[in-house]
Amino acid sequence: MALKTVIVDAEKCSGCRSCETYCSLKHEWVCNPSRGRIHVVKWEQEGIFVPINCMRCETPACEMVCPKGATYRNHLTGAMEVDANRCIGCLSCVFACPFGATFVDGETGRVMKCDLCDGDPTCVKVCPTGALTCEEISRETYHKLVKNAERMPSLVKQAMGEE
Amino acid sequence: MYGWVGTIVNVDLSTGQVTTEPTEPYVDQYLGGRGLGVRLIYDAWETGSDPLGPGNPLIFNTGPLSGTALAGSGRVDVTAVSPMSNLRAKSNFGAYWGPELKFAGFDHLVIRGRADKPVYLYITDGHVEIRDAGDIWGKDTFETQKMIQSELGDPEIKVVCIGPAGEKQVKYACLITETGDAAGRTGMGAVMGSKNLKAVAVRGSGGIRVAKPREFLDLSIRINNEIREHPAYQELSQWGVARGVHMMYQMGFFPVGYFEDVCWEDILEKYAGPKYVEDHQLKNTGCFCCPNRCMNFLSVPGIGKGVTSCEPFSGFTGAVWNLDMDTFWEATLMVNKLGIDCTETSATLGLLMELYHHGIITEKETDGIPMERGSKEAILGIIRKIGEREGVGDLLAQGQMAFAESIGPEAVEKVDLVKGLAPHAYEFRSFKGTGLMQAVGHRGDPLPLRGSLLEVDWHHANDWFQQVAGEQFGEPEAAIPTSYKGKARSAVISEHMERVADNLGVCKWLYGLFIYNDVNMITDVFNTVTGKDWDIVRMMAASERIRNLERMFDVRQGLRRKDDSLPKKFFEEPLQKGPYAGEILDRDKFEAMKDEYYEIRGWDKETGVPTKEKLTELGLEDVTA
Repeated sequence: MALKTVIVDAEKCSGCRSCETYCSLKHEWVCNPSRGRIHVVKWEQEGIFVPINCMRCETPACEMVCPKGATYRNHLTGAMEVDANRCIGCLSCVFACPFGATFVDGETGRVMKCDLCDGDPTCVKVCPTGALTCEEISRETYHKLVKNAERMPSLVKQAMGEE
Repeated sequence: MYGWVGTIVNVDLSTGQVTTEPTEPYVDQYLGGRGLGVRLIYDAWETGSDPLGPGNPLIFNTGPLSGTALAGSGRVDVTAVSPMSNLRAKSNFGAYWGPELKFAGFDHLVIRGRADKPVYLYITDGHVEIRDAGDIWGKDTFETQKMIQSELGDPEIKVVCIGPAGEKQVKYACLITETGDAAGRTGMGAVMGSKNLKAVAVRGSGGIRVAKPREFLDLSIRINNEIREHPAYQELSQWGVARGVHMMYQMGFFPVGYFEDVCWEDILEKYAGPKYVEDHQLKNTGCFCCPNRCMNFLSVPGIGKGVTSCEPFSGFTGAVWNLDMDTFWEATLMVNKLGIDCTETSATLGLLMELYHHGIITEKETDGIPMERGSKEAILGIIRKIGEREGVGDLLAQGQMAFAESIGPEAVEKVDLVKGLAPHAYEFRSFKGTGLMQAVGHRGDPLPLRGSLLEVDWHHANDWFQQVAGEQFGEPEAAIPTSYKGKARSAVISEHMERVADNLGVCKWLYGLFIYNDVNMITDVFNTVTGKDWDIVRMMAASERIRNLERMFDVRQGLRRKDDSLPKKFFEEPLQKGPYAGEILDRDKFEAMKDEYYEIRGWDKETGVPTKEKLTELGLEDVTA
């Protein structure tokens, strides 16, 4: 089975925070967006909202800096997860993440990482705008490639002064 | 507690004292949100106090479902005594502030007294700080929010604030959060301004505990998905109400001008709301956890960015004879930044245009601005003057009647108010049930009352909605706008339904449109979140208790049956045009609807006061006029 991941399209996000809140309900059994494993950064006067979620990097900084080897990839889902028994709470992974997408639970001090809900992400189920989707990685990169290629003919024409 | 976070916080701005009390003792009788707020103000208000004095408590009320992972859970109710009517005020706003108040640890916030200099409140995780607002005083609502976030170093702080209009105590000043979510009506901004309180900033890291989290997760995902499959969702999430407004003009539900008539030919032909949205919309946005995003976020070069929804689309178009959408947008941003209620402002403009049109005033009475119908200069010039209380704006800031009285009896004759406020701009001559709900309603709230929506829906499928009315309100004719039959019961049930949403802290638009298709949905959600075991009968009974307590508050303030009325225009001047040409409210039949309403309510027909028996039945023995 091809690997799926959460794809963020910030342009579509309406900033409703459903993803954060339902995530906290799913993982912590409480409604508390500050304990979600996804976070929406908002510029409400500009209408710009950016959901931040684990990028599941190929060479994950969170995994590399962990002194106890507590951060590992779940090869069934592709998610980067944290083994709570090994984690000593040093927060190295939190500070090393270049996206700010590794979170700390303010109540327990634990590290919180998106586990993709075992391949069926709750945030995607409730995202009303399509800002969050769960896609096959190979298919998504192919779409990107086509979308990018489609721009080429007009750019070439522009460069040649035809448009 | 589950659902509720369990604490009511009281802040006295005169002494700086902060105290708390538990929410729990109130909830079995008054639930939360609007209902619990009514009890708080009933107990706190001393008869004879000045609405713009330190004795008027300003109360913010979230409900047990506010801030939960549930569609539409972003609402907050605001109450105080209205400086416009001297009756209980009720306003409600959405966006993200209310949930944040709960995350910070409080269900209700009661603000009393008056600070001796401008201040704002910063509430975070169980802590309340009164901070100096000297630098922020005078700033508009957009700047205020940014300055506070910047001063406190946290862009995720949620702020509800007043603009210059609230500081200057324009009687219909409002509260604003984000770019256009307003506690618009009944002058809450004036009350906040009278306390020298510029803003309330909140930030919380706490959560809302849920009694049955696994069940709630399944249920709330299902609700989210059901809403997104609903046809109304397709329209609202793309267009907001921009396209619906035109339909309202077509069916003669929205009046044109100052209730002068309906179906202005020009607006039917040239209404450019949808085009404007198409050209300038960045996206649609909404409130906390809401899939429905019914607000249009517009960005217009040279004018600015922000959100708008229902009222401005008609208030700054048809109500002021305007077809220029740039003027609409400039006016909308201006009232939001100054912090004035759009509904009352557009009615005030409408009155001035009517008086000018009939030669009762000239430009001399309006600082040299000719109040031509639809004039951009008139619309924008007067809004600015009201917000700044400059020139004639100082008088207009005291209300339509204050201005009319300065002109004379001919002008006073023209003023259309219900209980001190501009009535909602709906055409009551043809929509009889909507008229009844406006007249008897607390504050006057015909929409989104289910019974009023039904009179609108009826146009789409007469037979179907008559059948619905038969099932829901016991009388098929309750759906037919021009019929007087079944309207009283429809009003009573609708008022109770509306309070269910308001008490729980959820959006009544969303629940009126979508969720009540399944009558048990709301109690399923409530029970799953709170761990209680209520049925719909008990839920509606709480609404009835709250409706009666609201009434008793106003009775204590002097309200009686005669105040449950509409401007005489609706009884004397028949509609000239439109699908309902010739319609008028028949005074006797209107009074008969009221009789029926009081009878169902168990209120005295002569006075409109709830009877002792009714109050006892509802557990309100301690409540007296």
